[in-house]
Amino acid sequence: MITHVESPILEIHDLTVSYDQSPVLWNVDLSLPAGKLIGILGPNGAGKSTLIKAVMGLVPVTGGYVKIFDRELNDVRSRISYVPQRESVDWNFPASVLDVVMMGTYGKLGLFRRPGKKEKQIAMDCLDKVGMQSFVDRQISELSGGQQQRVFIARALAQEADLYLMDEPFAGVDMATETAIFQLLQEMTAAGKTVIVVHHDIHSAMNYFDWIIMLNLHLVASGPKTEVVTEDLLRKTYGGKLNLLTKVSDIIRQKDFNPLKS
Amino acid sequence: MSDFVYFFTFQDASIAYVVIGITLLGIGSAYVGTYSFLDKKALLGDAISHAVLPGICLGFMLAGEKNPLYIVTGAFLSGALATFLTSWLKSKTRLSDDAIIASILSIFFGFGIVLLTVIQKSGNPEMAGLNQFIFGNAIAILEEDLYIYGGLAILIIITLSVLRKEFSMLVFNADFGTSIGYPMGAIRMIFNVLMILAVVIGIQAIGVVLMAALLIAPGAAARFWTDKLSKLLLIAGAFSAVSGILGTYVSFVIPQMPTGPWVVVFLSLFAFASFLFAPKKGVLSRFIARKYYLKKTHQDHLLKAIFHGLEKGQSTFPIEEIYESFPYKKKETKQTIDDLVKSDLLINNQGLINFSAKGKSEAKRIVRLHRLWELYLNEYMNIAPDHVHDSAEKLEHILTPELEALLENRLNYPKLDPHQETIPRDNDEL
Repeated sequence: MITHVESPILEIHDLTVSYDQSPVLWNVDLSLPAGKLIGILGPNGAGKSTLIKAVMGLVPVTGGYVKIFDRELNDVRSRISYVPQRESVDWNFPASVLDVVMMGTYGKLGLFRRPGKKEKQIAMDCLDKVGMQSFVDRQISELSGGQQQRVFIARALAQEADLYLMDEPFAGVDMATETAIFQLLQEMTAAGKTVIVVHHDIHSAMNYFDWIIMLNLHLVASGPKTEVVTEDLLRKTYGGKLNLLTKVSDIIRQKDFNPLKS
Repeated sequence: MSDFVYFFTFQDASIAYVVIGITLLGIGSAYVGTYSFLDKKALLGDAISHAVLPGICLGFMLAGEKNPLYIVTGAFLSGALATFLTSWLKSKTRLSDDAIIASILSIFFGFGIVLLTVIQKSGNPEMAGLNQFIFGNAIAILEEDLYIYGGLAILIIITLSVLRKEFSMLVFNADFGTSIGYPMGAIRMIFNVLMILAVVIGIQAIGVVLMAALLIAPGAAARFWTDKLSKLLLIAGAFSAVSGILGTYVSFVIPQMPTGPWVVVFLSLFAFASFLFAPKKGVLSRFIARKYYLKKTHQDHLLKAIFHGLEKGQSTFPIEEIYESFPYKKKETKQTIDDLVKSDLLINNQGLINFSAKGKSEAKRIVRLHRLWELYLNEYMNIAPDHVHDSAEKLEHILTPELEALLENRLNYPKLDPHQETIPRDNDEL
């Protein structure tokens, strides 16, 4: 059940990604519409984070390509914002909340130039949007999980992008923060932005997203929520690892080279 | 004393060169080292500093004398080769980081010692100067050395200042940097080059063996004092420069004394003092905070004990009786009563203890927090009434007024705790 769209905002063509030779994503082929709140669902180890990392060029791809706004990634980076997993950084780094949010402006600022008043103002506005304005000068090591996540989202807002890719923004976040973040994402899509979110909780996903991608090492489904969320597809996604696919991965890992690499 | 005056008044131009050199080098290496410490790559600095030795020897062999340009170039190239091999081995093999770094360090250093022995056997009269590169001799820094070592140190400091936001991003979140199109690979390479240069500029003054300490110790010591990057860099630079100057002074006063080990001794003193005395993160201040907390808990328990007596209808509290309720703690209890009297919570009327109005309200507050928490555990977390006491005994000391208000609200201003005891309030009759 894979729905393709005309003039997609993001097109992933036959994408295969391997870590240490063994494939973690097999031939993902999908296209996504603009202005929607899109969820990527799947069990642990299904390749959800890997998919958006591959879109952002953070992991080498074994085969296939990605087109964003019908262009190459490097031509449109300033229009894309990536929110990494909260656990992927060291929150003991000596920086203030403002320092981190200001990083969102670095893309437009460019190399060598120091952020000034304008960048600070953008960062303050974005902190305001996530309700963290009173934490501006707080050290990031003193924040709770939910606050860290909101800082990351404020940084993404500061990029003033059109397409947002967020890796587990609801992980380790309390209920109130989850609702607040979700409302913010809805406002963003209402303003014409496209937001793609890696998510692990199937129940809340039903309420949150317009369009759902289901992954389990390969693409199970991609389409409008109402068409995709069926018992059959859910079983295919969450009903355990595909035995045969895992065995093939094992064989490839034992080879001295990666036969999938073109 | 005259040595001291002579050294620190810089009457001798050559001493001024040495002090300027060691200050620049200290700041430069502390600056780079702080970033690599934050990046958790401290070991790489150690590997590079050992790995420059063969380059120094080859530079010497090619030049046939102690030419700083040859030696710096040789050291840089061999440090660069070691850094490249480290990342190449990491990408091509499944060896762990520590195994790779340890092998590179010992192989390069071993090879360097072999070359050093070869040079010694050759009987080159210039050889004497070469031994200094192992443990360093800052006094031997000459004017022409200063131009090279000092110049490189300034280059390091300027590059780090210009690329500060890029290096911070490299350490904090390199993936994000890549995602916004920054050339993070190139930035990583520039950083590695600066790291090798920082080692190279230290070989004359500090020596290859101990240069790693000058990279890492200042940042690690400064980390105890601040959570701000700009302050961290300043403090690290200051620790490093002061240690450098002091180490140089010792090797100036005592002949034949190498500089490197003394610089490291002074750096260790700074690091050790930071570890002990830094506010908040230091051992001493944590010890004091804990002492203060224990004292406060004893005060709370004493107020509670009197309040429980009051609940049972007792009206006078002889001081001896209070001592008995805290067995083996008479001295501590006496001190606590004195403290409580001093802060107007208790009244001592010739050996009979009683609450002041303020004291009774404080005792009620502690007992209230204790019982509210017990009730919360029982009602909201389904913990049996006979299992809630221990947790409440600890939390009664730390629950804030905001949390108290929240508990009251959630539990709807309850009258009784799970043991059917009254939850005391300021306006009740007791």
